[in-house]
Amino acid sequence: MKPDISWLDDPEVFRVGQIPAHSDHHYYRNNNEITNDRSSYVENLNGNWQFKFSRDPMSRPSRFYEAGFDSGDFDTIKVPQHIEFAGYDRFHYINTLYPWEGHVFRRPAYALNPDDEGKGMFSQAKDNRVGSYIKTFTLNPDWQGMQVRVRFEGVEKAMYVWLNGHFLGYAEDSFTPSEFDLTPYLKAGENKLAVEVFKLSTAAFLEDQDMFRFFGIFRDVSLMAQPKVHVEDLLIKPVPINHFEDGDLTIQAKLTVKDPRARVKIVVRDADGNRLFEDIKPANNRLEVNNQVIKRCHLWDTHHSYLYQLLIEIDDGTGKVLEVVPYQFGFRKIEINNKIIELNDKRLIINGVNRHEWNCHSGRVITSDDMKSDIRVMRENHINAVRTCHYPDHTEWYRLCDTQGIYVMAEDNLESHGTWQKLGGVEPSYNVPGSLPQWQAAVLDRAKNNYELLKNHPSILFWSLGNESYAGDDIAAMNRYYKQVDPDRLVHYEGVFHNPKYKPQISDVESRMYATPTDIRDYLENNPQKPFILCEYMHDMGNSLGGMKSYTDLIDKYPMYQGGFIWDFIDQAIEVKDEVTGQAVLRYGGDFDDRPADYEFSGDGLLFSDRTPKPAMQEVKYYYGQYN
Amino acid sequence: MVNTTDKLHVIYGDGDLGVGGDGFHYLFSYSRGGIESLVIDNKEWLYREPKPTFWRATTDNDRGNGFSQKSAQWLGADLFSQSVGVDVKVDDQLIKFPGAKVNNQYSNNEYVDKIEVSYHFVTATKPTTDVSVSYTVIGDGTIGVQVHYKGNIALPDLPVFGMRFLMPTVASGFKYDGLSGETYPDRMAGGQRGTYKVAGLPVTKYLVPQDCGVHMNTDAVTITRDWTKNNADRSERAFSLRFEESGTPFAFSCLPYTAEELENATHIEELPVPRRTVVTILGAVRGVGGIDSWGSDVESKYHIPAGKDIDFGFKIMKG
Repeated sequence: MKPDISWLDDPEVFRVGQIPAHSDHHYYRNNNEITNDRSSYVENLNGNWQFKFSRDPMSRPSRFYEAGFDSGDFDTIKVPQHIEFAGYDRFHYINTLYPWEGHVFRRPAYALNPDDEGKGMFSQAKDNRVGSYIKTFTLNPDWQGMQVRVRFEGVEKAMYVWLNGHFLGYAEDSFTPSEFDLTPYLKAGENKLAVEVFKLSTAAFLEDQDMFRFFGIFRDVSLMAQPKVHVEDLLIKPVPINHFEDGDLTIQAKLTVKDPRARVKIVVRDADGNRLFEDIKPANNRLEVNNQVIKRCHLWDTHHSYLYQLLIEIDDGTGKVLEVVPYQFGFRKIEINNKIIELNDKRLIINGVNRHEWNCHSGRVITSDDMKSDIRVMRENHINAVRTCHYPDHTEWYRLCDTQGIYVMAEDNLESHGTWQKLGGVEPSYNVPGSLPQWQAAVLDRAKNNYELLKNHPSILFWSLGNESYAGDDIAAMNRYYKQVDPDRLVHYEGVFHNPKYKPQISDVESRMYATPTDIRDYLENNPQKPFILCEYMHDMGNSLGGMKSYTDLIDKYPMYQGGFIWDFIDQAIEVKDEVTGQAVLRYGGDFDDRPADYEFSGDGLLFSDRTPKPAMQEVKYYYGQYN
Repeated sequence: MVNTTDKLHVIYGDGDLGVGGDGFHYLFSYSRGGIESLVIDNKEWLYREPKPTFWRATTDNDRGNGFSQKSAQWLGADLFSQSVGVDVKVDDQLIKFPGAKVNNQYSNNEYVDKIEVSYHFVTATKPTTDVSVSYTVIGDGTIGVQVHYKGNIALPDLPVFGMRFLMPTVASGFKYDGLSGETYPDRMAGGQRGTYKVAGLPVTKYLVPQDCGVHMNTDAVTITRDWTKNNADRSERAFSLRFEESGTPFAFSCLPYTAEELENATHIEELPVPRRTVVTILGAVRGVGGIDSWGSDVESKYHIPAGKDIDFGFKIMKG
């Protein structure tokens, strides 16, 4: 397989050579490693990498991945990091317009003309910045002979990967992991991993989120070795049964098995460590535990985020442990009864907030402490739900939501706002994905990446098909995909509001953003077909968040009104040194000579961008506390 | 027997009406539209005369829904409204205006129980409307302030209506009896009643500086400073001034900047070095809104319609 730079132009090429998406379980060599959360099968590749910035694809060092390439003129960059934060490219904040607005004329391939393949639109574009990364690493001698992969947790927006001069593959969908098998080309001793990252590709049309536009390797990179028998994918289905008295547990795992003598022990414990179930089976490619009943099970919800513990332990048949996989799961049921969303047989009230990942010193490169702090602030202020606007978050976030009892609306990495809304008006003449067949597989892949990665988290009640992308056959296909793989969760999408003929096919809920209380009453009093959610409301830009009572009053009056997600959790601003005083100051769109820009429009948080709360937070605490 | 120490000593000057007593001395200017000097225990509390205020620095929602554009006249009113007349009442009796040479009839031994000085303003709007501010001083030095806005239906909604006090130096802090945090008429349910002490003069660090720091439903606020502009005053002793409700709670903000200074900045670091204290006692506050930031108005019950009269009052005294 040979890489082709024209993949950047082709919406039908979005993943090449990648390992299929799978669950986010961690795996370890033994139980001690679980306790310390340090797996000897995982090595972090974060740190300093060799780096070359190129202003466009034409000037990039196109053969830098080759073994003999002289990288003497390369710089050093820290990974993970947005390339803009390393000072190579300009910060740019823009909301709905595409970042090339007024600089380059572009229409998505096939959108206006079925013969327009968009050739060269990105691969030959002067505004398509390129980052060429090289990391040399020495293979852990303990890993000799093992399958080894590289895992990128997040890279914006398109990347090609090579090992020792051999092409491994290509990835888009910036916010879900990409994995490539290194095994065929690994050498004992030093290996050269080369990653070529492009700021623009057809993925840019699908990633028009209202945020600072960055590129580069912005989440962790790891090498992962797999023992002879390895859990590749895990599906845990805990379902409350018998009127929520008991629980029915089904577990399905996909294993790679290279030792036919291996055995798999499956143990389920309650939160106190009492063993509820244990079984030992021979290691097969498909491992199943079906309909195991847990008597008098504890239910999971925001008040009691009770988690059971699954442990899968694989040995080689002689008692030598090869791999252990822990996973925490919860029993809860989300369903719509009589047009009302119920969680565990009770009406669901969403006291929610939209959350972008943000740190004013590093953008969307955030730390575990940032996430823990965010969860704590949510709990302290009676926020019980989060929408991961508008992309999948760092996987640790979902684990925190499981343990801390925060409901999650898990959104796909999709927004194509600039293709259908212009200067406020709905004008979908070149909307993607729309109903274009050439764009459907890419968005379905995004749905699949989201589902496969996160499917075991009890905190996720809703899958969300993306944000502000209008509606057509392709988003309807995403809805069908989720319903097929996961009929037990609800599907959310707001964009169908602008193309209501798709309402029967898209979204289990009537979702709106920024509807006035009067608009909402109008909907709820006129034969509503679906329960109502505000996926965005109370736009907390600057000194705002007045009039919240008019929304919370609806909760008392209309059972089908189920609350909403405040826009949003944290201001997105960047701390820099003031060029005049040298003081640390917070800057926003347009402050970096970035034009066109949307200026302070990203300052809508309940928190300032340094994570201190805005004064309005006490109001949120009060009203959300009334419905807690 | 009349105890003369409870009486006010009145000095009928040509440019100012002086009113003194035990530990205080006030000057009511005839030409500058208000109190020119408010000295308590030898500390000056005013940098310029208190004036009616009609403007708040545009919030993001004010900008988004076009409010500031529609109500832009009030910015002019805030900056340029003029005092057009002064009345003086002595012991509740209106006296002939005691300027030169009417005042030649008085002496340096004029003592009264009560002095009321009223200033009449015409707003710099089209059409204009009238605002009056009256100050009533009693023997212990307490100043009762009554403010009246005459409604005019031809004018746009107001952003705020209140009285702005510019103090000569930066306060070390303030203490108030009211609601926790920054509150507005449509965002005060979460405020908890109590006594709160605030160090310094914090400006809420919204990305673009805008109106901030309002505290609704306040019974009293005490401002504390520890230095003056008097070159002969080397004391570092803290001294305080108290604003107290007179019958109805008020709203206030205590910031180092005027609405116009905040309005002009695009970032907090552009604001000038804090030099003064700006205390605004508010009789009417517009809500901040929150439905969206690009068109939706603040809910109508949180508007300040210009057609309706506004009256409010408060007291000023030694803190």
